[in-house]
Amino acid sequence: MWSDSLLIVFISICTAFLGEGLTWILVYRTEKYQKLKVEVERQSKKLEKRKEAHGDSLDKQHKKKIEREEERLKNNNRDLSLVKMKSMFAIGFAFTALLSMFNSIFDGRVVAKLPFYPISWIQGLSHRNLPGDDYTDCSFIFLYILCTMSIRQNIQKLLGFAPSRAASKQGGALFAAPPAQFK
Amino acid sequence: MSSKNKSVDGANKSKGGETVWRKAFTAHTDWPDKEEFLDVIYWMRQAIGIVLGLFWGVLPLKGFLGLLLFVVVNAAVIYFYVNNFQTIDEEEYGGMWEITKEGFMTSFAGFLVTWIIMYTGLHGSFSL
Repeated sequence: MWSDSLLIVFISICTAFLGEGLTWILVYRTEKYQKLKVEVERQSKKLEKRKEAHGDSLDKQHKKKIEREEERLKNNNRDLSLVKMKSMFAIGFAFTALLSMFNSIFDGRVVAKLPFYPISWIQGLSHRNLPGDDYTDCSFIFLYILCTMSIRQNIQKLLGFAPSRAASKQGGALFAAPPAQFK
Repeated sequence: MSSKNKSVDGANKSKGGETVWRKAFTAHTDWPDKEEFLDVIYWMRQAIGIVLGLFWGVLPLKGFLGLLLFVVVNAAVIYFYVNNFQTIDEEEYGGMWEITKEGFMTSFAGFLVTWIIMYTGLHGSFSL
């Protein structure tokens, strides 16, 4: 059982590196992506500073400037997502195929023992395709998802491919409802 | 930031890798670069997650208590580090909540993986 769990950790390390490598070849190294990324980060930081400085002011001119910059940032963010999307689809398909292959290899096998009883809506994942009613038995897919969650993001951060905090913050804010003062 | 500036930043970061370590373990350090401090918090969290996962797996701690203790210890260590060791003004970072959630989910996933694997290897044949 232990060798299976260690093998799954190894598989997720390999797939994380493979995924990042493929994304680097198809997206990260392209000039368009690099330009857009630098631009989005620069604009996000600028917008954050401007909001900090004039966030509560009622000056119409400032409000308009902030709105204009938000619009520009939104457009750049959309372009950035479009650049990423095509290759993400390709990688997504490749990884779905890989995942289904591993799924069939580990089908019905208990790969680990959970030190806790998972809550009911997680049991569907943690006990997927496993025989018996012992819900502390762990399926491949649950351990693989956990490994991917921790390993992939750390690898992205180590390699410097993770989006900057300012960009994610502004990106998140763009999808949220606009604050009352900008309505 | 231009690409030129970025490469200069990168060079500074690699040169200053040692100083970041030193700054992280020196009390009351001044952090002019907020990102750098948040990175320290992020990686500290990941380390805490893995270390706690190893401990909980070896002991072994089981059930909801293990999960709860992880959350409490993780938050307490970061709170102590930020407020008592580094004495950072948390408002500069958008409040304690922003610092508390920095890298939490990744750390939690890392903790679960190490806890499950250690538990499986050392105590996997026994049931709860």
